Amino acid sequence: MARNPHQAARLRRGIVLYAVVGLLLFVWAFPIFWAVVVSLKSETEVLAYPPNIIFEPTVRNYRDALVGGFSILPSFATSFIISGLTTVLTIMLAVPCAYAFARLRLRGKKALGFYTLVTQMVPPVGLVIPYFLILNRVGWLDTYQGMVVVYLTFSLPFAIWLMVSYMEDIPCEMEEAAFLDKANRFQALWHVVLPQVRGGIAVTVIFVFLNAWNEFLFAVQLGGNDVRPVTVAMYNFVSVEQTLWAKLSAAALIAMLPMIIIGFAAQRQIVKGLTVGAVKGGGRR
Amino acid sequence: MRSAAFRGEGNFAALLVAPSLIVLVVTTTFPLIYLFWSSFQNINLAMPFLDGFAGLDNYRRMMADGNFWHSIGLTAIYTISTVVLQVVIGLGLALLVMRIPAGQWLFRIVAILPIVLAPVVVGLFFRTLMFAPEFGILDFVVRWAGFGPVNWLGSPTPALVSVIIIHTWQWTPFAFLVLLASLAALPPDVYEAARIDRANALQRFWHITLPLIRPALVIVIIMRAMIALSAFAAIFAATGGGPGTATEILNLYAYRTSFVTLDFGYGSALAVALLVITLIVSGMLFYMRTARTT
Repeated sequence: MARNPHQAARLRRGIVLYAVVGLLLFVWAFPIFWAVVVSLKSETEVLAYPPNIIFEPTVRNYRDALVGGFSILPSFATSFIISGLTTVLTIMLAVPCAYAFARLRLRGKKALGFYTLVTQMVPPVGLVIPYFLILNRVGWLDTYQGMVVVYLTFSLPFAIWLMVSYMEDIPCEMEEAAFLDKANRFQALWHVVLPQVRGGIAVTVIFVFLNAWNEFLFAVQLGGNDVRPVTVAMYNFVSVEQTLWAKLSAAALIAMLPMIIIGFAAQRQIVKGLTVGAVKGGGRR
Repeated sequence: MRSAAFRGEGNFAALLVAPSLIVLVVTTTFPLIYLFWSSFQNINLAMPFLDGFAGLDNYRRMMADGNFWHSIGLTAIYTISTVVLQVVIGLGLALLVMRIPAGQWLFRIVAILPIVLAPVVVGLFFRTLMFAPEFGILDFVVRWAGFGPVNWLGSPTPALVSVIIIHTWQWTPFAFLVLLASLAALPPDVYEAARIDRANALQRFWHITLPLIRPALVIVIIMRAMIALSAFAAIFAATGGGPGTATEILNLYAYRTSFVTLDFGYGSALAVALLVITLIVSGMLFYMRTARTT
């Protein structure tokens, strides 16, 4: 009985806690929830005032976004090609480089690592201006090869540093055992190191693909009619069709579907990738 | 014998590093040199007959350009306010969620969504579904609450507030998830000791939690500041830098000067200015990171 006021205070605190946390949860979930709701409305329903919560849902917008006149599928394919190529190239380049940075002795390694880190900080607008002039001269504007080259500028330094932090975590003993078995360095890297950093490679693939898929500045300026990723297609849609919000919502949700699936499926890996530098803290960067 | 092994290792390392570094030099350093070069040139696609070496003209013009200083001010406001909001809300939410025994997974799921969305899509969603006059849900709520209609994206101050809200909404979950992970990694016994010493919650936070998560906090601040300095897509989609130049941070000003006015020489100089500012800010933040607090 004597503990009752204490318990009441604790209960009150608990209620306040859940209320605050619930409110914040609502704020963050709502815009996406609302986009889903709007995508299921008809265009006239969207413009009803006050907004309706109860309505007859329709999948027409999704059908239009997929097979209608504004079909998003060609852009979808474009995004897939660019992001896929960027990811493959980035991984092929970054993984060996990260292994050397993390594990091998190399003169000037520190300076090279710092250089890699600094390239990551270059603001994209500082690259889109020279790239426009250069690609224009070479005739690579609105081409896949042009886009992939440009996307390497932000994906490669990022991937190298992410992979370095995974490489640092694996123990040296197994490599040394492999050397004793007369494996050469390349065999050791391929058969011993790579299998141990599969998880890290998966996280890197996810991040590189995601960043390439969501990129906009380079895409809108260096792409064009032939190479138009989904982000640009979405932007053009609103510029042309100011009021077709339901169609926009449906198309945008389809465009973002691969990312949303990755987000749900690889949620754990993404959080790990985000925190890999932060939690280790000290690090040597 | 040993030095031979070392030389072998060095060669192998060089072989592994070379492809990446060559690609980086060609794809980033070379264009940057080109950017510096073009910042000393007149390159105007609208008036190509004036093209030629300009010396320091573009930089002199920049010092006297009211729009440039205006965009610097906006960049400072935008960067500082979004970073502070992200860290404060993200840390607060992480501390609260840590105290919830069940349902943490729900927060992790909801937090992942804004992070994986393209900023341009987030900008478009907010421009139409949230902020649009009358039919935007935020405008509806604000009017329903009796604060009158606000022209969110059409008048200067609300437009700036709007783009700050958009950025904060999209990236606070990043700070939240990173800080939640580092809070979860803290050893529980330090709290026990503090509790026995009768430290209250605020003292525990200030003297124990904060110093322990300081490395993670500084990393979050660095990463978010870098991203905010070169934020583009969400602002471009929501306001296009407008109305007028009300949300035209330096990044957008450099973009517009190059690709709308077609004055690539001056645009390059503005981009160089942004690059220099970015490097100075990151240098300062990295220094803060290594400096000891006593």
